[in-house]
Amino acid sequence: MTAPVYLFDLASRQAQWLAARQTTISGNVANANTPGYRARDVEPFADVLDKTKLNMAATNASHIGFTPSKAEASKVKKADSWDTVYSKNSVSLEQELIKAGEVNRQHSLNTSIVKSFHRMLMSSVRTS
Amino acid sequence: MIDPLVASSKLSSSGLEAQSARLRVISENVANAQSTGRTPGSDPYTRKTITFKSELDRTLGAASVAVKDVGQDDSAFPVEYDPGNPAADENGMVKKPNVNMLIEMADMREANRSYQANLQMMKQARAMISATIDLMRG
Repeated sequence: MTAPVYLFDLASRQAQWLAARQTTISGNVANANTPGYRARDVEPFADVLDKTKLNMAATNASHIGFTPSKAEASKVKKADSWDTVYSKNSVSLEQELIKAGEVNRQHSLNTSIVKSFHRMLMSSVRTS
Repeated sequence: MIDPLVASSKLSSSGLEAQSARLRVISENVANAQSTGRTPGSDPYTRKTITFKSELDRTLGAASVAVKDVGQDDSAFPVEYDPGNPAADENGMVKKPNVNMLIEMADMREANRSYQANLQMMKQARAMISATIDLMRG
């Protein structure tokens, strides 16, 4: 037996993380001119994977479910932001758009990989 | 809790709305840059200011932006000697609006830039959603 392929699980988790990061960056850009707003970022994907714990089983529909690997938005430390203006806003549009480009690139890589693996699986499933 | 990518589009739309409100205030200021009073010694148009606040949207689980209030600039009005003006006082001095064109233009550029950044984020969220949907096309 070969080792099980965790690719789809991993890919879907990374897609989730990328979506969370995209939301955080959008929030920063929307608040680019809000006085006192501090830029946020999510924790790196590797940290999210390391922290993954076993999920509690919900045996009843009214139980509260837990999503273990949800990336929490954390405030960026002051040093991480490129500039802080007089109104104590630490959002740098350039920095945010660079991060957004990163997210976009990773997401298209992610979907392309999933797509090609899907094609591989389908070609092995299809007979005749 | 809704889908993060949809939340991302909604956050961007709140940003677009806030920045267009800002542009509206700026154009009001620019349009009224020469609006003096009607009666002798009366106050001219007062420059308007706009402030934003960040509010936590519980359905989105993220901080969206909204217009806090549209206030007035309390700085002094510059005076100019123009005895023919209906707003001129007994010395012939007319109070002009406290609108500084240079500041308004700089503000306009900044609002424009922020608007574009929000638009870019919205486009990207849409691209990510359609890339995910395209997975189903095989």
